[in-house]
Amino acid sequence: MIRRLISRPERLVPAASFLVVAVALAATPAMSGERLTTFDIRNALQGFAQLGLVALGLGLTMIAREFDLSVVGTYALGGMLAVQTGKSSAVLGVLVAVGAGAAIGAVQGGLIARLRLPSLPVTLGTYIALLGLTSAMSGGLSKTYTNSGATEWVDRTVLVVFSPRSLGTLAAFVIAALVLGGTKLGRELRAIGGDRRAARVAGVRVERALVGLFTVSGALAALGGALLSYSYASANPNQGLQPLILSAVAVLLGGVSLAGGRGLPIGLLAGALSVAFIAQIVAITALPDYSTELLYAALLMVVVAIDAPGLRQAVDRVKARATSTPSHQHHSP
Amino acid sequence: MNVPASPPAGAGDPPQVEVDGLFRAFGGVPAVRDVSFTVGAGEIHALCGHNGAGKSTVVKMLSGQLVPDAGRIIIGGAPVEVRSPQQAQRLGIALVDQELSVVPSLTVRDNLLLGDISTPMVNRRRAAAARCRQVLNDLGLDRISPDQPLSTLSMGERQLVEIARALSQHARLLILDEPTATLSDVETEHVFAAVRRAAAQGCAVVYVSHRLAEVLELCDTVTVLRDGRRIATTPAERLTVDELIVQMLGEAPHRLGPARAPDPQLTHALRIEHLHVPGRLDDFSLTAAAGRVYALAGQLGSGAADVLRALAGLHPNAVGRVTLRDRGVPFRSPVGAARAGVAFVSNDRKSEGLFLDKTIADNLVATRLPALSRAGVVHGPRERRAAGMLAELAGLPARRLAEPVVALSGGNQQRVLVGRCLGREDVFVLLLDEPTRGVDVGGRAAIHRLLRAAADAGLIVLFASTELEELLELGDVIITMREGRMIDRYEGGTDGAVLMRDMTHGSRTA
Amino acid sequence: MTAANSDHREAAAAARAEEPRPGGGGATAAGRLRWRRPEPLDIGIAVAVLAIVVAGAMTSRFFSLDNGRAILASTASVGITAIGATLVMIAGSAVSLAVSQTATVVAMIFLSTQRLGLTVAIVLALVCGAAVTALQGAIIGFWTANPIVLTIAAGFAIGGVATWISGGATVYPKGTGYKSLDSTPLGLPLAVYVLIGLALLAEWMLRRTTAGRQMYLIGENLPAARAAGLPVGRIVVIAWALFGACIALTGIFLASFNTSANADLGGTLSLDAIAAVLVGGTAIGGGSGSALRTLGGAVLIAAISDLLLLRGFSTGLQLLVKGILVLIVVIAVHLRATRGRR
Repeated sequence: MIRRLISRPERLVPAASFLVVAVALAATPAMSGERLTTFDIRNALQGFAQLGLVALGLGLTMIAREFDLSVVGTYALGGMLAVQTGKSSAVLGVLVAVGAGAAIGAVQGGLIARLRLPSLPVTLGTYIALLGLTSAMSGGLSKTYTNSGATEWVDRTVLVVFSPRSLGTLAAFVIAALVLGGTKLGRELRAIGGDRRAARVAGVRVERALVGLFTVSGALAALGGALLSYSYASANPNQGLQPLILSAVAVLLGGVSLAGGRGLPIGLLAGALSVAFIAQIVAITALPDYSTELLYAALLMVVVAIDAPGLRQAVDRVKARATSTPSHQHHSP
Repeated sequence: MNVPASPPAGAGDPPQVEVDGLFRAFGGVPAVRDVSFTVGAGEIHALCGHNGAGKSTVVKMLSGQLVPDAGRIIIGGAPVEVRSPQQAQRLGIALVDQELSVVPSLTVRDNLLLGDISTPMVNRRRAAAARCRQVLNDLGLDRISPDQPLSTLSMGERQLVEIARALSQHARLLILDEPTATLSDVETEHVFAAVRRAAAQGCAVVYVSHRLAEVLELCDTVTVLRDGRRIATTPAERLTVDELIVQMLGEAPHRLGPARAPDPQLTHALRIEHLHVPGRLDDFSLTAAAGRVYALAGQLGSGAADVLRALAGLHPNAVGRVTLRDRGVPFRSPVGAARAGVAFVSNDRKSEGLFLDKTIADNLVATRLPALSRAGVVHGPRERRAAGMLAELAGLPARRLAEPVVALSGGNQQRVLVGRCLGREDVFVLLLDEPTRGVDVGGRAAIHRLLRAAADAGLIVLFASTELEELLELGDVIITMREGRMIDRYEGGTDGAVLMRDMTHGSRTA
Repeated sequence: MTAANSDHREAAAAARAEEPRPGGGGATAAGRLRWRRPEPLDIGIAVAVLAIVVAGAMTSRFFSLDNGRAILASTASVGITAIGATLVMIAGSAVSLAVSQTATVVAMIFLSTQRLGLTVAIVLALVCGAAVTALQGAIIGFWTANPIVLTIAAGFAIGGVATWISGGATVYPKGTGYKSLDSTPLGLPLAVYVLIGLALLAEWMLRRTTAGRQMYLIGENLPAARAAGLPVGRIVVIAWALFGACIALTGIFLASFNTSANADLGGTLSLDAIAAVLVGGTAIGGGSGSALRTLGGAVLIAAISDLLLLRGFSTGLQLLVKGILVLIVVIAVHLRATRGRR
């Protein structure tokens, strides 16, 4: 049973991390002495909305064994574009942002797929360029978003603990889960990440899938950025690497491996929720800030241990040595 | 692709697949010359031949992975050009590749449906489940759930899943390239039943295998290739294994010369006792003396390569006892094995052997840098001398030392890889997996001379090969292997046909 | 993809190889530089340098001693880390995302140990930086852990512990010894001399020492290095330990320059260092690259930023150009590396 669970980390890791974090959240009253309110849950879900879309885009590329660093750049650019073009119509702003994100993703994906480039350095270059572009657009300053109607709408409380923003993010995960679970795309995505040669031999159109994937990831990141700047009523041209790192944590806790071929959108959802809940737990219990970082580090070390092939070999070696020793005494003359 | 099942081939039916005068060369060296044969609907047609006979090249042209230089492929009466795996599927061609082409991280079901152009975009769970169940049952995989990840299956079961995928595409032409190399007898029996069922439904089957007994049991017709040419096409019932071996090897099978006696002056020996690699190798024992060449004869999956890999430290879960010069070899780690004096030459020189973008000189000295250094600093003149000496030893022109290895021919690359292990005082055992794979005749002779010289210089040379000529030419002692076990041991007094029998004869007819 | 295809490529490569190469004469030692036909990358770099020279000539104050100093000074802190990052990338471990945190922690250690004397403070800082980073290297080298995941975790752990101990407050020095590190002999900051010295040292180490040479081999083909019995784990640890020492030096100089250290000190150091290494033409997959070229990459980035600054362009535009430069070099390096094998 345990073997079987360990053999499917794309389920085990997100389930375990979500369970641990959810239990911890439920147990916070014991530490803070105050009851858990719907406000706390709503706050946690707002945190989830902030990183969810970037995490989803990053996670999808990681399932296909690519690493899209540029999502943070697209995130910033999407926010800036939405603020600057969405003054009169918020919808137009979102559309422009998503269109730009998708276009950037498509160009990048085309380069990576056709020239078989490694994605990390390419997306790093794109990330730096996009930060520059965003900063040049705003003159290096934060831009205020004056359409207060849109700002109020995206964060309006819906269904007690949700907001249109968190519901939209949730919807993106649900759509991704339906598409990947219900069509052959999910299978092909994991095959591309798991063994690209075998996928090609079997008849998967790898290049086409990669271009589509980067397009989706760019569009999602831009959408996340646009919604974030509507919510803050301003766009920040440079948020540093923090959104990327947190999204990567969400993806890894979501059971996706950087070695590719593994992961489910529902796992990504659990991972993103875990990260958001951890932040909320720390806020509720008034633990010092660094405990969030230490918690992330501890959880990631578990992921590292699960995914390190060398560690497994070392375990094999020790086991083999243990079985070898008695028999070799037995056989030696 | 759902092709309506046509009735089994009758006498008057036109052939389903016709191969007409195929020709293909690599870099000017012809690999396939004027090969023609036909496969009728419902016929199971074997392609046999020794290594390098051109079987795989023919298969690759049939499945669209290579384009022929000349000749035609006619399927169902119409000449076709196959340019991509998708197109091959549209033409009704299904392939079980020589290399395992399933994705371990996917479930069995996903692997069965992967890349099949006839599966709908939207999954139809129930229909797919029923179909997967059926295909799996047909191959005797009743115990396997379609929802199981492939990584939980054994190598043989994974191979069966790939075969199941090809069978489930209801092709007009089914190509199986060495499908049973990693399978047990029971599993093989299931594959045969499934292939026969496909043939009964009117599918033409091309079957490539080294296991000759199997070939005669399963196939209707056998086409033998040698040196890229078609030698004969014979109905299987008129052939015996021995006749087939004669067709494959030509008239004069090589004989093993008398074994060299071990040099009494060289006393150190490699003792392997009860070496066991779970799932790959069972209880292998051998005492190898210095100055002699030991050959492990075995096909893919026979365990021959696993003996070498375990000794080189590349099977961390290997169990057993290995001593060299009466000292234990820490054989579960490559660093430990190397330190004990074991040098290993992989059969895959591109991904596990050479540093392709580095120069010849760099590659030659790659494993002996500490010996050329003083206090961790490489001694330039000493390094140049070593590179020059090794180049001379390996027969590589000194003027090319600064060229990247990737620019060399296969034979010269292999010389670099072998040369890297020579002339070292701290190496006592030389392990080589397929020492001349992808090497032309001239290069091959040169590498054989190198290995013989190494043995004469006092090394223990142990190599694994599937090539009879190589085994007979080079081995002082030949150990035949099959299905992870030793079959027999020869010191002189054997010939190619005997070895071939040991290596290929499925145990159920032995 | 397929065996026959690769045979074909191999045969073609062999056919090409039979023709005498223009620069192939003479058996030079492996580590030596060889003359070769100009590559697209070299041409690209030459064009970029030429463009800077031309644009610089048209920009007042670009070709002045002061501006040259300014460029070098702005290169120093990123450059020192980039030299270390080059070693790690050559050895095949791609990137570290824990650089900023490590530099910050080292800076804090350095400033808070000032009263023990400058030498002790420097040694302590170097040892801490090297040890923390070497530990990551050990997990990567011996367990083949993924460097990205591991360094994200390490970044959190280092940053978390640092905040824990410092209480999140800014650390101020308890002594003045550090001030001598902020001196400017001959008008150049001390860090510039250290950078140039380090680049030369790293280049020598990569080419002439056993460990350096083995880094190239491991980075180029890890399975081959393993099968050949090279001490993969140990060499990876050495590369990471040296990387850690370089990060620590950067931290020390940042601390002396700012005379205080808080959690934001490291800033964007992680990615700036990687950008410099990539612009220097080191391939992300490992196996090739050079410390001197990284130095060149760092100076090139700084020179372009400076030029754009002098001509009045915004920081945003400077970043944009830098990103595009990284993209172009990465594509050129990749095309050159795979040209012979397509």
